[in-house]
Amino acid sequence: MLAFAVRRILYSIPVLIVASFIIFALGSASADPLAPLREKNPPAPQNVIDAETIRLHLDQPLLQRYFSWLGGIFTGDFGPSVVSTANIGADLGDRFLVTIRLIALAMVIALILAVVIGVLTAVKQYSKFDYTATFLGFLFLAMPAFWFAILLKQAGIEFNGLVGTQAIYTIGQASVPPPQGTGAYIADIIGHMILPTISLALISYAAWSRFTRASMLEVMNSDYVRLARAKGLTRRTVMVKHGLRTALIPLTTVTALDIASIIGGAVVTENVFQWKGMGDYLVNSIRMNDVYATASWLLIAATVVIAFNLIADLLYGVLDPRIRYA
Amino acid sequence: MPETLVKSPDREFTVEERSQAQLVFRRFLQHRAAVVSLCVFVVLILLAYVGGWLWKYDAGQYTPDNSVPPSWDHPFGTDSAGRDQFAQVLRGTRISLQVSVSVAILATLVGTLWGSVAGYFGGWVDTLMMRISDLVLTLPLIAVAAMLAHNFGGSWYLIALVIAALYWAYVSRVARGVVLSLREKEFVEAAKALGASDTRIILRHLVPNALGSILVNLTILVALAILLETSLSYLGFGVTPPDTSLGLLVSEAQTALTTRPWLFYFPGLFIIIIALTINFIGDGLRDAFDPQQTKVRQ
Amino acid sequence: MKRTRAAAAAAVATAAALVLAACGGGGGAGGSSGGVYGDCATDPNTCNSAAPDQLQQGGTVTLASEKNIDNWNVISSEGNTDWTGMATKPLLTYAFYTSPDLKPTLNTDLLDSADLTNPTTVTYKIKQDAVWSDGTPVTADDFAMSWKWQNTRDCPECETAGNGGYDLIQSVTGSDNGKTVTVALSQPYTDWQSLFNSAAPLFPAHIGAQQGDLNSPAGLKAAFDYFGSTVPNYSAGPFLVENWQDNVALTLVPNPKWYGATKPKLDRIVIRVITDATQEPLALQNNEVQALFPQPQVDIVNQLQNIPNVSQYQAAGLSWEHFDFNLVNPFLADKALRQALYTSVNVQDIIGKTVGQFNSDIKPLTNKMFVPGQDGYQDNLTATGQGAGNVDAAKKILTDAGYTGVGTALVAPNGQAVPTLRMRYTVGNAVRQTESELFAASAKQLGVNVEIQTTDSLGTTLSTGDYDVIVFGWIMSPAPFGGAQQLWLSTSASNYGKYVNPTVDQLINEAASSTDINAARAQLNDADKIMAEDAYVLPLYQKPTLAAVQNTLGNVRNNASLDGITYNTSEWGIRSGS
Repeated sequence: MLAFAVRRILYSIPVLIVASFIIFALGSASADPLAPLREKNPPAPQNVIDAETIRLHLDQPLLQRYFSWLGGIFTGDFGPSVVSTANIGADLGDRFLVTIRLIALAMVIALILAVVIGVLTAVKQYSKFDYTATFLGFLFLAMPAFWFAILLKQAGIEFNGLVGTQAIYTIGQASVPPPQGTGAYIADIIGHMILPTISLALISYAAWSRFTRASMLEVMNSDYVRLARAKGLTRRTVMVKHGLRTALIPLTTVTALDIASIIGGAVVTENVFQWKGMGDYLVNSIRMNDVYATASWLLIAATVVIAFNLIADLLYGVLDPRIRYA
Repeated sequence: MPETLVKSPDREFTVEERSQAQLVFRRFLQHRAAVVSLCVFVVLILLAYVGGWLWKYDAGQYTPDNSVPPSWDHPFGTDSAGRDQFAQVLRGTRISLQVSVSVAILATLVGTLWGSVAGYFGGWVDTLMMRISDLVLTLPLIAVAAMLAHNFGGSWYLIALVIAALYWAYVSRVARGVVLSLREKEFVEAAKALGASDTRIILRHLVPNALGSILVNLTILVALAILLETSLSYLGFGVTPPDTSLGLLVSEAQTALTTRPWLFYFPGLFIIIIALTINFIGDGLRDAFDPQQTKVRQ
Repeated sequence: MKRTRAAAAAAVATAAALVLAACGGGGGAGGSSGGVYGDCATDPNTCNSAAPDQLQQGGTVTLASEKNIDNWNVISSEGNTDWTGMATKPLLTYAFYTSPDLKPTLNTDLLDSADLTNPTTVTYKIKQDAVWSDGTPVTADDFAMSWKWQNTRDCPECETAGNGGYDLIQSVTGSDNGKTVTVALSQPYTDWQSLFNSAAPLFPAHIGAQQGDLNSPAGLKAAFDYFGSTVPNYSAGPFLVENWQDNVALTLVPNPKWYGATKPKLDRIVIRVITDATQEPLALQNNEVQALFPQPQVDIVNQLQNIPNVSQYQAAGLSWEHFDFNLVNPFLADKALRQALYTSVNVQDIIGKTVGQFNSDIKPLTNKMFVPGQDGYQDNLTATGQGAGNVDAAKKILTDAGYTGVGTALVAPNGQAVPTLRMRYTVGNAVRQTESELFAASAKQLGVNVEIQTTDSLGTTLSTGDYDVIVFGWIMSPAPFGGAQQLWLSTSASNYGKYVNPTVDQLINEAASSTDINAARAQLNDADKIMAEDAYVLPLYQKPTLAAVQNTLGNVRNNASLDGITYNTSEWGIRSGS
């Protein structure tokens, strides 16, 4: 098991390095970090552009830039941003924490919802509940994320109007300055989290509940569950002890493999709700043609995805005794 | 559509193949949601292509009615510049469908071939090719798409290329999985024994037998691509004027929810209808191709 | 199957609900003022006023900012953004600012007087009690550092945003303990009030001196960069920085050493970074912010109109849209064709389909040197008939000039067919798309085909002259004379369309170094009339700026100049009893 993990990690390193090169080369080839300067009205003087060229290492060949970037990362230096005062590493660190908070909570909520709804729809197959849940699941899958988020925002404001207090916030991850008192502070944080978390969770929930339902149905129709029932165990015991556990194993994999698309979903969600997390950073960096910032972002995202894949593989082995790592 | 399945891989088995196609078709018909969806989808395509052509206003045409709500003259209202929103939505639908269908076809072609070759040959070829697929899958799609689209994009075919360049890896994984399971089947052994070339085995035996899963995936890709294009448009990295798309229309209208709701809801509704019907069609196809799943349902 | 029917029914129900919701709402026509802003159109400088005794002591006001602050040195090329300027306005001090009526106004908090003592000498008298927040007096040294950064001689490495006029300064000397500043110019400078104005405010030289010797280029550069990268812990304005969260918010609290006449009433001003302006109206409705200053768009304006207890006002700003011809094109080198094309364009119609959607007051702009409200503005365009959308008159111009095929396929007098013209606009800009398409439609009526292409790099397209017709925006300088030199001289880098007229050059240059400001204005207007007759640039309209506030806020008002909404934060307050 440990040997497997170590081998997998070693195996990931070349993938990451090749990925980092492709990311960097694509970014450098396609974006001109000096373009915004030239776009200025009036245009920036030539000496400004020359100084920027040197500061951003644009006078060096691509390979040299790549290796100095890669080398710098090990010392915590993610390269120069087009914003001369910015520190890419520090910015990404702060924003990583913001995004993790959003993603983790949304994933937990989505998982709980998906398991509960997935199991219930499987158990009560072809009931009205099943139809409604199935249709809603398909509807969420078909809805543009930001479109739904905008509707949610409007609903949040209507809700505030109904209850007569400012319970739900639409902008940012906390009030500035933070309210006094622990209770008010926690209420403020929760009030800011509600809408973005719901909008991010519902998208993943839809796919996962469909998946849970399918694997639950498969397990329920398997021979060993029938045998357990035939032995005289109650339906409930069979469900929880045998059915659920087996059905959930593949869900862990699916969840972990979905991390890339959840990060993608967070990019949109953060923009709608103006959370200053990774997603917001990416969009700004791309808009400013900030090659180092964009490449660093992608590298971090790729590392997270690879880590999650690794965790999924390991978890699969822990949960499913049939799997042996050779 | 089941007709495409009639292209049988082996002439000797033509009769049996057709009956299999009929079987699939019959099973598809039993999935009512899928059938209804297929009808809605066909109507939508007709509306977008024929309807847009017949409609009295062109998408780019300026009328004197600026920002009017829906009426008989403008069933979906008009925008600030007085362009008929119904014509705009139909044009957006055409381009969005063009984008997503191009993505689905391109990604499926490349991904299927890639995955089949990897799965069939195995060994280091497989390892190398799948590492490359993994590499693509490692990156959050929307992030890379945004980066590429920001610098290359703007017109619909470039956006389609960018999205397809990232989606093929998903297809290659599915195709490889199917091919791996088929590779050891008797008919492949038989073909090999008869001296068929690798190319022939891949193209005539493996790919057609993997067609079911691939077709299901293709429909899902159409829905995914339309939603991804919408997200890109929202972030400002999608199709840009003078091209248009449903995603662009709905993102331009994001502030119009309470003030000019017709601009916000109609393009959004069309996106939902397209993605919803396609997902149901995909669901129906999955049931039709996978009788075991249907057995569970009964 | 039952399942399908239920699903189908649900689908229909959802669709019906959405459609009903879509039909339920109504659109607003989009007026521009009301509520506490009712009198802004007539009294831009004093609308929404509240006397100090009508304001409560304390309270927090949150203002939404569309941009992050990346560089705190607003004089630097990187820091010279609208929102960095507005966010630092409560911290920095300056000689002149632009009031909401677009007139340069003396900053009487800092100065007793600023006068042109002779045509080449400006004397500033600083108030004795004017100090930085650490107690150090504001002196001539602060003026000198700002000048040295910007004169291009003392600090060539300092990447300043612009250096209009500072290169003309020969010396900055202090007397009377540095409280009197004497600025010697090498020649008369009509725009002298733009020197040390709020666009290039003063920074504390005593803090700059800690970074290096301010008499050396290296020391100046070190100070210049220090002020860019360091969150200000100094202030000579009514507020001090309490906290800065990158990309999130700037929190300001009153400066205890503030020497100005009006003491701040607020406990706190928060400038909240909301980079997507479309999210701002909802945040205002939800009371997460209390004041907005976004770029107006039709839905933002209408959304604000539906929010109770919120007022908004659009003021005509300094930036303006225009069509430009590239005279390098041999066909466009002919004045008759240019005049005809501009005559066939209906500017009022273009406004109606763009900015007119949210502001019915916007009128065609008829001057390229001044905007309405600035002294010197007059109508130089209407007499030429351009922008009137008069196709018959346009056709007559062409026929008279010897063109054939007018209205079908235009042929120049020399027998060559007028080729398809390439018109460019910035990709993704829907307003300019509409403007371009309407231009193409009117050109079509004369028999000229216009092919519209987008550009993803406006700067490159302009500087390489890769267009026949182009639509973009200029920002009118609050210093009109230097601004005219920058935009309209034939030798200027901004002369993208290669317009050359020696008379215009002469008039503009004379106006910029004049000793008689009224004569200078007349000269600029003469130049503008010649340019209008030459039909090189067709001005369309001024872009408005939009301010929206909760009605409880007093003294927060729209300032359409670069000074922006924060030009008077010391007066801001929350009305008592609200």
